[in-house]
Amino acid sequence: MRKLLLPLSAVVLVMGARDLHAQSRSISGRVVGSDGAKLPGVTVLVKGTSLGTATDVEGRYTLPAPAGATTLVFSFVGYTSQEARIGDGPVNITLEASTTSLDEAVVVGYGTQSRRDLTGSVATITGKEISNTPVQSFDQALQGRASGVSITTPNGVLNNPPVIRIRGANSIALSSSPLFVIDGIPTYSGNNSAVGSVPNNPLANIAPEDIENIEVLKDASATAIYGSRANGGVILVTTRRGKKGQARLSYDTWVGISKPIRLFDMLNAPEYVNIKNEAVRNLNANRLAATGTVGTNAQGFNLADAAGNAYDTRWYDYIYRTGVSQSHNLNFSGGTDKTTYLTSVGYTKQKGMLVRNDFRRFSVRANVEHKLFDRLTVGARVNYANSLNSSPNSGSVGDGAFGTAGLGRLPLVLPPNISPYNPDGTYNTNGAGLGAGPNINPTSTTGAALLPGYYNPVVDLDNNYFTSESNSLQGALYADLEVIKGLHLRTQYGIDNLNFEDKAYYTSLAGDGFSLGGQAIDYFRTNKRWNWQNTAQYDRSFGEHNLSLLAGNEQQYTEVQRWGANRTGVADPFFTTYQGNYLNIAAAGNSQGASYLASFFGRFTYNYAHKYLFTATGRRDGYSAWAQKFGNFYGLSAGYIVSEEGFWKNAGFAKAFDYLKVSGSFGTTGNNQGIYDFVSLPLYGSFLYGNSGTFYYTQGANQNITWEKSKKTDASIAFGFLDSRLTGDVTYYHNLVDGLILDVPQAPSRGIPGNSIPANVGSMRNRGFEFNLRYNVLQDKAFTWTVSGNLTTLNNEVLALLDDTQRIAGATSGLETANYTTVGRSIGSILAVPNAGVNPANGQRMLVRADGTRVQYNHLGTSGTGWTIVNADGSTGANTTSPTQLADGVYYGPVLPTWYGGFDNNFRYKGFDLGVFIQFSGGNYIYNGTKSGLHDQRFWNNSTDILNRWTEDNKNAEWPRVVFNDNVSNGSTIIMSQNVEKGDFARLRNVALGYTIPSKALSKLKLSSVRVYVQAQNLALVTKYSGIDPEISVNGGSNLAPGVDRNSVGQARTYTAGLNVSF
Amino acid sequence: MTYSFRKRVAAMACTALLGLGTFSCQNDLLNVKPVTLLDANLAFDTPSRVLAQVNGLYSYVKVGGFLGGRYQIYGDIRANDFINRTSNSVTGLAVWNHTLAETSANDVVSVWGNAYAAINQVNIFLAGLDANADKFKTSTFTSVYPNGFEPTAINYRAEARLLRALCYYSLLQLYARPYIDGNGSRPGLPLRLAAETGLGNNNLARSTVAQVYDQILLDLNFAEQNLPLRYSATQGGAAVSTLNVTRAHRNTAIALKSRVYLTMGRYADVVTEANKLVPTAAPYVTTAGVANGLNSSITAVFTAPQETSESILAFPFSAQDPPGTQNQLAFYYLPASLGGGGEYGLNTATGGIYASTAFLSTDVRRTSFIAPVTTVTNGVSRTEYFLSKYPTGSPFTDKAPVIRYSEVMLSLAEALARNTNTVDSRALALLNAVRMRSNPAIAASGTTPAIPSPMFVATDFASVNAFIDAILLERRIEFLGEGIRNIDLMRLTATIPAKGTVSAIPSTAANYVWPIPSTELSTNNAMTRN
Repeated sequence: MRKLLLPLSAVVLVMGARDLHAQSRSISGRVVGSDGAKLPGVTVLVKGTSLGTATDVEGRYTLPAPAGATTLVFSFVGYTSQEARIGDGPVNITLEASTTSLDEAVVVGYGTQSRRDLTGSVATITGKEISNTPVQSFDQALQGRASGVSITTPNGVLNNPPVIRIRGANSIALSSSPLFVIDGIPTYSGNNSAVGSVPNNPLANIAPEDIENIEVLKDASATAIYGSRANGGVILVTTRRGKKGQARLSYDTWVGISKPIRLFDMLNAPEYVNIKNEAVRNLNANRLAATGTVGTNAQGFNLADAAGNAYDTRWYDYIYRTGVSQSHNLNFSGGTDKTTYLTSVGYTKQKGMLVRNDFRRFSVRANVEHKLFDRLTVGARVNYANSLNSSPNSGSVGDGAFGTAGLGRLPLVLPPNISPYNPDGTYNTNGAGLGAGPNINPTSTTGAALLPGYYNPVVDLDNNYFTSESNSLQGALYADLEVIKGLHLRTQYGIDNLNFEDKAYYTSLAGDGFSLGGQAIDYFRTNKRWNWQNTAQYDRSFGEHNLSLLAGNEQQYTEVQRWGANRTGVADPFFTTYQGNYLNIAAAGNSQGASYLASFFGRFTYNYAHKYLFTATGRRDGYSAWAQKFGNFYGLSAGYIVSEEGFWKNAGFAKAFDYLKVSGSFGTTGNNQGIYDFVSLPLYGSFLYGNSGTFYYTQGANQNITWEKSKKTDASIAFGFLDSRLTGDVTYYHNLVDGLILDVPQAPSRGIPGNSIPANVGSMRNRGFEFNLRYNVLQDKAFTWTVSGNLTTLNNEVLALLDDTQRIAGATSGLETANYTTVGRSIGSILAVPNAGVNPANGQRMLVRADGTRVQYNHLGTSGTGWTIVNADGSTGANTTSPTQLADGVYYGPVLPTWYGGFDNNFRYKGFDLGVFIQFSGGNYIYNGTKSGLHDQRFWNNSTDILNRWTEDNKNAEWPRVVFNDNVSNGSTIIMSQNVEKGDFARLRNVALGYTIPSKALSKLKLSSVRVYVQAQNLALVTKYSGIDPEISVNGGSNLAPGVDRNSVGQARTYTAGLNVSF
Repeated sequence: MTYSFRKRVAAMACTALLGLGTFSCQNDLLNVKPVTLLDANLAFDTPSRVLAQVNGLYSYVKVGGFLGGRYQIYGDIRANDFINRTSNSVTGLAVWNHTLAETSANDVVSVWGNAYAAINQVNIFLAGLDANADKFKTSTFTSVYPNGFEPTAINYRAEARLLRALCYYSLLQLYARPYIDGNGSRPGLPLRLAAETGLGNNNLARSTVAQVYDQILLDLNFAEQNLPLRYSATQGGAAVSTLNVTRAHRNTAIALKSRVYLTMGRYADVVTEANKLVPTAAPYVTTAGVANGLNSSITAVFTAPQETSESILAFPFSAQDPPGTQNQLAFYYLPASLGGGGEYGLNTATGGIYASTAFLSTDVRRTSFIAPVTTVTNGVSRTEYFLSKYPTGSPFTDKAPVIRYSEVMLSLAEALARNTNTVDSRALALLNAVRMRSNPAIAASGTTPAIPSPMFVATDFASVNAFIDAILLERRIEFLGEGIRNIDLMRLTATIPAKGTVSAIPSTAANYVWPIPSTELSTNNAMTRN
């Protein structure tokens, strides 16, 4: 967007140049950017005068300078201004791009503003910071890049949408995700795939290399213009455009490899057999003690089967791999006085660390703008992308945490003494599951084999597939007419059409498809949207009074449809696609939705001498889902640039402390993201009873439900020291979300469909500070060093729910409820029964009741429940009942990080550049459910720390005495604090070392710039968290069940090497 | 380009923008409606929609998580005839080994929720019938309803109430103490009888077990009086033969009443009800209404489409309307080699019905419904035994049985024995009728010796109790896998027997009945734990 300002400054200065007195010598030269590209439109001024000019399309300038002139000043929006002494020859200069210059243009809703005049809270991330990163969608690369923006990568599956929370969780039942706007058109985000195993984030249809800038709108002043959709903040993406000047061809490429890290150390076969047989012996001892009869459970775990086949399988080896990825982006851009254009073609193919987790995208973009008449500009932006994501069942997305096919879980559960293959090379299966190998079921009375029930992952990986392919066409056509000077009428019509074909295939050999005789499911989904915006913008200055007025109308209609079918009973294993032949077919996944938003909005900005700043914004939205259609939203803000005052400018400290601005804002926004399109209508659904059609009640008329409303308050101080070498800001934010829509739980005995009714009943507050600091430590010509960092604090508290006693449960995959949301606590806090460790006297797990009583568990070790009271001296007391989470649990929270941020170091020495980026986060608790599984005493494998279990010889042990089939002591049955851990971490997210080949060497090759680099992602992680990754969320963006780690796969480490070439 | 032309273009564009854009807001789009869901106000507009709602009530009761599979499965696996093979907590492990918690999602929480969801659908339907009663009147000249719809509406009302009774009865068997424990004075269920649609009304205390049974009998008596005698014309795409099994008729209400009274220990009432269906002597076929009777072949009863006249009520499935993953009866019981999931195998140890001497090796129910599967693992051969009563693998379209004629006969036999406190001859005849159809005497042929008739005679029983035990044992054999076992244990407060490493559960134990789900406790402040 900063390029839009270019023609203006050039025109002004060229006109100024006409008045020059032709009395002096002529100075000429050439201006290039730090990447070696020529820079047209750079302002060149003779210092201390108003004499100046602008560079031409080749970056050249010629300037008649007065005899006494000694210095030239070069300035250009988006670049650091530079001075140069006038010598004898041409004055050639290289300008450094500045990323957060105070004067850069900032994209705001329906327009731009200069950062200096801005009173709202807007963070800018340049495309440069995120391009060349091995991600599938740009939002995955935003971690730690902007204050106030918390981004969690929920797992290591490709194209999984990151969880984005701007200034905390802004909703409970709806989505807290920000609104994404691409070049002015709101787009789709979140997982749109119908197949649980494979995620599909529509934002992956934008090639990161096509992005010029990303702005994050955070406070009410900045977001109110988006009104009812802005509670979670707004992320504006501006794609790259052509620049005036000679045509330019660039090619960016990288190749990389991804590997898993921090995998758990699991027991090998001999250790497994020992531990499990010990558990059986302990079970027998328990049975004898409890019933007086000798337990007859067999020590059925064996290293080799009767035929002598012995295996020591590391299941990880079949599931993880080193994935090779590549990316290519070719773009061609340029422009004349009238027309600018940019076209780009991109291709990326990425292979994840999980076998069969592959992503590829093919994208084409064309951005064109043409000045039709003097006052009429027309333009178009079109992006087409085809992306295909395939993933095995990782158990990490789509409620799959407890699936018997989940690849996050299988290597933790499956016995190491079983091989995935039979000795003859065939798959080792029994029915749907993995074969028993040498293990005999200890509790069987007939010596039956111990069938794991879990699937053989090799069968699934070899035969099943899950894919989500999308075709995205995003485009907009716009026209801008300057009716009178300063008054722009603009109309923009955009479409955002996206379709998905989601496929699942399950072999009949084993696994999920076994009992179905093989299965193929195909879904087709279309998202269709049109968006029409009409705005009138008037900018005018009267003396020192600068004002800007915007009025507009926006309409948006969105229709989502999906249909599909499920075919089972494959006629022959030859058929591996949906189109093959099957015995049965049933409809699957049909759905339909439509919504319409009609809006009127306005913005008034005023400043006096760029010193006193004021902005008022209002929006009136009408939304089809509500019974009462319309709602109003507004934002007010004011700022004062103290350093613009005369007293400041003339003060002695002005050189050292050159910039100070205070600003504040207040306003309201709304949220409807995730609400059902027809939530206010009384409806009946239809299904089948055998072969007859049915109608049944699905929901009552919900007349009162409306937007969740946020009251956002901001206060900010921005400063610049040492000629703005050190800049920064501190912001306090306070966001009160009222009228939270809660799926108010209904007593299941009422029989309300879904056992809940949405209503605007809750209230929640997020508050905290944001700090940004940027320091150009060294600005030597040869060596530069820039440090920047940001830190955000967050205090989240639920203020009101239906009533003060309400506890809203958040379940993981519908099976395990660790999180409860209650009044007075942070959202989704973990409720766990306190752990009192292992009783040294008998090796039993001890938990603490709400009344302080310690109780201990001995699996099948008493005639009752197995629970007994622990006397003060550690001896065993009376039989008792099991402690329960609801009665005895203690809250651990918050589960959202209370502090997070990023720390970026950029070094440049001659042609070399080095970037070191650290992301950090903490203050939160994680429910590490995986840990309970890792120590479960069913036949499941355990992590090696189980070797430190209680035995007669090891009484001060970390883990309880192992008893076969005990799934209570380590947390699989009762949520216990043993598995609640702090989630603090610092991650070396990105290290990039590049070398830009000197332009002298290139000119012979007709190249304008070449940079080669190597890069490592996720190179190091510092954390005390014992799970696979502290940045994890098995429930994705769920607000009610965040911070849960259950059988998920962690993040990969990726190394890439790349090349950027321009011709 | 002249200035005036530019001006005109500007003026035109300006007008167009203001006219089309700035003031536009399309009202029809602001009121966009769904195309796959029906406006509730139109739900009672035509006879076919009302019928579709009746079918909707059945479909709610027969969801896989309730009477479409899991309820029946839980009724069997609580006891000792089956062994859990997969240790999968999703497929009833905690039901099998009695470690259910109030948070157990797939059983404790799910069955409760599914049953009450069905109950509320019934209540909403009944309220809708009331609200739209005027439309059904024959005098309404604009009505789309045909003359004679009013009695049809009453038939529907009776079906709805029968289903509500079935739901409450089924819930009582899991979540409340047996009736004979204090004559129904123990805590029962929250009795929801009104349509629930909006916010509020969460708190409702438990009625006593007796009060819930009273309501069940009220509903069943209404059903008996108002249900059609039989279905004689196709409806909503279902054939008459199907309707007589999958939709309630008068016999259905009577049969269910015989089960309810038996569960309550009101044996005289069992006799009264069962006598309406069971003649005093063979052939055992009902004379009024649907000709329900004892089929000559048990295998025919369970051969698809399971629509013999012995099935009084069973719930249908189709490829389009399957029971859902991990809910299917066949999936639980059939071995993998026959297309099931082999979740549960028969307990071959002493105590299990498989090992019972009363369950003869030649019994058709053994030879036809039990499938041995021999696997050779690592050179060692083992045989396991599976119930194959539900023979159809994917897409699992076997009907889920609710009540069969033979159950009414055996209930009558037991009630007669208990009432008369003798080895009643009619009771003995009923027992033998059920037993002998699956145990025909086989004459000698060639070198194969004859197999004598296993028919019981009165002198086989040392006491009335021994006779009653024989009836109960016959019920175990006859209804294996049909969900009756739990009812038979609990109505007599019998101990749930031990199996494998799982201990016996005496009737005094807390886990003799299921816990009340945490979802109810956390929302209904008047609710109390078991």
